[in-house]
Amino acid sequence: LNGSAQKRVLVTGGSGLVGRAIQHVINEEGGGKDGEEWIFLSSKDADLMNKEETQAVFQKHKPTHVIHLAAMVGGLFKNMRVNLDFWRNNIYINDNVLQAAHEVDAVKVVSCLSTCIFPDKTTYPIDETMIHNGPPHASNFGYSYAKRMIDVHNRAYFEQYGRSYTSVIPTNVFGPHDNFNIEDGHVLPGLIHKAYRAQKEGKPLVVWGSGTPRRQFIYSLDLARLVLWVVRDYNEVEPIILSVGEEEEVSIKEAAEAVVRALDFKEEVVYDTDKSDGQFKKTASNAKLMRYLPNFAFTPFEKALKETCDWFVANYDNARK
Amino acid sequence: TAQPTQKRVLVTGGSGLVGRAIQHVINEEGGGKDGEEWIFLSSKDADLMNKEETQAVFQKHKPTHVIHLAAMVGGLFKNMRVNLDFWRNNIYINDNVLQAAHEVDAVKVVSCLSTCIFPDKTTYPIDETMIHNGPPHASNFGYSYAKRMIDVHNRAYFEQYGRSYTSVIPTNVFGPHDNFNIEDGHVLPGLIHKAYRAQKEGKPLVVWGSGTPRRQFIYSLDLARLVLWVVRDYNEVEPIILSVGEEEEVSIKEAAEAVVRALDFKEEVVYDTDKSDGQFKKTASNAKLMRYLPNFAFTPFEKALKETCDWFVANYDNARK
Repeated sequence: LNGSAQKRVLVTGGSGLVGRAIQHVINEEGGGKDGEEWIFLSSKDADLMNKEETQAVFQKHKPTHVIHLAAMVGGLFKNMRVNLDFWRNNIYINDNVLQAAHEVDAVKVVSCLSTCIFPDKTTYPIDETMIHNGPPHASNFGYSYAKRMIDVHNRAYFEQYGRSYTSVIPTNVFGPHDNFNIEDGHVLPGLIHKAYRAQKEGKPLVVWGSGTPRRQFIYSLDLARLVLWVVRDYNEVEPIILSVGEEEEVSIKEAAEAVVRALDFKEEVVYDTDKSDGQFKKTASNAKLMRYLPNFAFTPFEKALKETCDWFVANYDNARK
Repeated sequence: TAQPTQKRVLVTGGSGLVGRAIQHVINEEGGGKDGEEWIFLSSKDADLMNKEETQAVFQKHKPTHVIHLAAMVGGLFKNMRVNLDFWRNNIYINDNVLQAAHEVDAVKVVSCLSTCIFPDKTTYPIDETMIHNGPPHASNFGYSYAKRMIDVHNRAYFEQYGRSYTSVIPTNVFGPHDNFNIEDGHVLPGLIHKAYRAQKEGKPLVVWGSGTPRRQFIYSLDLARLVLWVVRDYNEVEPIILSVGEEEEVSIKEAAEAVVRALDFKEEVVYDTDKSDGQFKKTASNAKLMRYLPNFAFTPFEKALKETCDWFVANYDNARK
């Protein structure tokens, strides 16, 4: 070990969509700071559903800070199939990571929630105070409750031990290194992969659902820059939503049309209305973020989508799908 | 030898307040039925926070039915001290028990929630549909969320595997074999123990708090009879509140005065208003229970309290305190 790092930051889920974006910002964009040491874990380093393996990897690295991104995740259709597994596996991962961090005396843990966990019956826009105000959407209640319980767990660590463990709440994240699997992935990578294949086969792009549900999308690189700020300078235990503004919300139809432009897709676009739409909207307020960082500039959606599509085409063989 | 058993019922937490009441009803009141085999577990048989020990005891007995009463529990002041431990320990116990039951193919598990887990900001009376409609009272949020998650877990087992795992929601339970520890126990056993000692020392009974909060109390023997009915004949996954009616709600002051009568306490009663009151009320509706069992007769409060006090006095040396 050189010198004494003031921060040794361990990132769980370091090879995933957000983890890779953080690596990119640290390594390629000079986003790291002096006195920071960064360690990115993947499932090869430890099975975080296993308590002993988690303890071992935390003991090995003894982080002062943790960015906890690892989770069992998936799009609408996978959640609907195995809600029980989403509940149990994520509870185990989160308890193992938070407890291991506590035991090596990590001063800060930043975990990752999602706007899909908010109450289904609610007023809009949703904000950080509303997480527990009612049941989540039925489609992914297992995942939603497991993620909500991170906030409960953080508050309990604060109350019993004074720990500053907190969480961020992104909206729908997209970018290079995503999971582009059509059955299990999220909507944007799913559309990109489907359009790519449909173009090759000269077939229409089939969008699942009516195209009317609405989403706010955040580019993984923007999210990474914001997470770095949270690790360094956000000191509340209460979570913070990391998202573009409400006015940036788009329909699935508009998102599909943007993918068509980004990939220069030439065939028809059709909507399979037999397939589930999922939650109609989950509009989140980014007012709290804007109070802290009024000048933060998000990458324009079309530009971010183009970069993502270009990455997918260039890396098709190795992309997770 | 006997007929083949149609039900092998395993009771976790079998030596506790409710477990002992069930044992009493089965063994002393002819509450058992032909074809039922009853096994009562205590912490001596397995540490349910340990996955392997839980699996081993379930493999040993291979129950068809489970009454899951085991938990880390305590009164107001203990919860306020260690909310984190209440959250973690109960999540582990519940996951271990439910998963072990699932793996031995138990057809039914009846777990035990509590009215203290309902939303703090709410309309009254509370009912079974309202469990997740907002955050619980801050004093015991760790315990409350862990218990709420049993309902989430049950619904996930139903959705993914078709299991009929359900839960009951008693109000404040009291009776013989309770934990009479003054620091950690619940209000009625605490008052009984305090009055007993105050009488011996010729001192006043000091009631913590203002005496104004309100509670519905259910006698452990009544609860046991109702739990037996749930195991045999209640077939919903949604929980059911097991309680006396709203009109039976009493203030802590009224409860203290009833303890004074039951123990024939002769000294003064004073109220230490520096101590926390906890939640002001948690009035629960028993309308669902009354629809199923309109003729169920609860033991009158004064009679149940007298039996409990008599038991405590007769068993003082061995009572948990």
